[in-house]
Amino acid sequence: MKNAKSVYLDKEKIKSFEEIKQKEISFFQRDNQIEKILSNKDILILPSSLAWQKYSWTKKFFEKKPKEGYFIWLKKQINFPLLICLGIYSPQKKQNLNNLLVIEKNVKVKVITNCYSQKSNLKASHQAKGKIILKEKSQLNYHHFHYWHSGDKVSSDYEFILKNNSSLFYSYKNFSSPKNLFLKNLARLEKGASVDLKITTQAEKSKMKIIDSIILAGENSQGILKLRLVGKKDSQIENQSEIIAKKQSKGHLDCQGLLVEKRSEISTMPKLVCQSKKAQLTHEASIGKISEEELNYLRQRGFKESEAINLIVNGFLQNNL
Amino acid sequence: MPNKVLLKIENLKVKANHQEILKGINLKIEKKQIQAILGPNGSGKSVLCQTILGNPKYKITQGKIIFQEKNINKLPPEKRVKLGLALSWQNPPSLRGIKLVDLLKKISQEKIKIEEGKHLLNRQVNLDFSGGEKKISELLQLLSLKPKLVIFDEIDSGLDLEKIKKIAKIIKKEFVDRGISLLIITHNGEILKFLKPQLTNVMIKGKIVCQQKNFQKVLKTIKKYGYEKCQKCLS
Repeated sequence: MKNAKSVYLDKEKIKSFEEIKQKEISFFQRDNQIEKILSNKDILILPSSLAWQKYSWTKKFFEKKPKEGYFIWLKKQINFPLLICLGIYSPQKKQNLNNLLVIEKNVKVKVITNCYSQKSNLKASHQAKGKIILKEKSQLNYHHFHYWHSGDKVSSDYEFILKNNSSLFYSYKNFSSPKNLFLKNLARLEKGASVDLKITTQAEKSKMKIIDSIILAGENSQGILKLRLVGKKDSQIENQSEIIAKKQSKGHLDCQGLLVEKRSEISTMPKLVCQSKKAQLTHEASIGKISEEELNYLRQRGFKESEAINLIVNGFLQNNL
Repeated sequence: MPNKVLLKIENLKVKANHQEILKGINLKIEKKQIQAILGPNGSGKSVLCQTILGNPKYKITQGKIIFQEKNINKLPPEKRVKLGLALSWQNPPSLRGIKLVDLLKKISQEKIKIEEGKHLLNRQVNLDFSGGEKKISELLQLLSLKPKLVIFDEIDSGLDLEKIKKIAKIIKKEFVDRGISLLIITHNGEILKFLKPQLTNVMIKGKIVCQQKNFQKVLKTIKKYGYEKCQKCLS
């Protein structure tokens, strides 16, 4: 399988995503309409509203009766990644999604989710609220990609529940920013569970609020939270990140910001809360600007100023992630 | 008859932080020619290199830089590079998150066919590179640029004699033998023994104070008397 990055980062490919990758998509929602749901014996995918009716146990995970969204229940090991596509194609559409992903014991899976507006001036509104449950010894490798336009409003609020000895790798990347972005991720870890959360975002003509929490509730749980925030023209990024250790555990918080333009602002508030003397929590945080020396060096390698800035920004976003 | 002069610098005066650093430089480099500039620390050699390449930090207050008969004083660095100028940095910065292989691909689609530096390709540019590795990385990047004139700013600094010999061998094969002009900026002059410049300049306090065809004579004088002797030429 090609790596997710090369296939899914190209904007042109995203435009025709459903045509190219139709066969591989597990769940595809266009505006408010579900276009495709994968059917497979080892995995159950339903609209959330139907799951609410059919499986009463799901009710505890939905705060209220869902209208839109997906329910994915991975019962057994599958040998392909799940591709989820949530796109807005028509003007002024509002998506209000309630998603639930349940991964059974010992199952390992890769999930790639693309959320996007297909073109500019749609003034799209995308609200996603979800819970992701990793049962004992399960593993989830989750890549979450956002492609939005300057008039869009986006909110993404996810809670990850990690049962004993499960592990989550979660990577969020934002490649073109909406007007407003609210991003919230909360991970609760039980005994021996581990999480690696990576958030990379670029803001341009955009206001973003990013809240991340890792709660190390189980013994020997481990959490890493890394953020790379880039403030481009007319942008404001507000970040609050915390790791709370309730038992013997390890956590590391790493937040770095890069201001590219004068009219941009990044504020970050890293917080560590330690409730066990056996826990070890560390953090590092910095906000800087583009180095003139690096910029000039790259220009002397034949890159225009804007190309050199992009190279530095991309390097920053990938550095140590 | 075609013009043999590739780079011509006329009475170049340059300021940085309100201080005049270059005080009227005159220099001519012909096609396929190798020239050297020797000078003590702080004589303005690196400022001259950076000014030729268009570093916005340095302001030209007087004079002209003419490359291939075109005044390039106001051209941005990237356009100077496209014309065929290239500079190997003395202390290149580290580029975090950018692998050398990716940078080379972005500079040029054409693959560089030299053995040296293969082990550096998947590392981040200049990050934790040794002195010698940085020089190799610079050479790889310069080769990708397909230059007409390459300026080497202290390519021999911090290297032992064996490494200088190795670097000189690559420069000879990849640049000199292909007819690319060179301007070698050096403090100790070791590399000149291998590259044998046709003209050697001595720069002191922002001025070129002498030009000699016999580089050995210049090296011998500097070795024997230091730059003090050249200093006297100024007075």
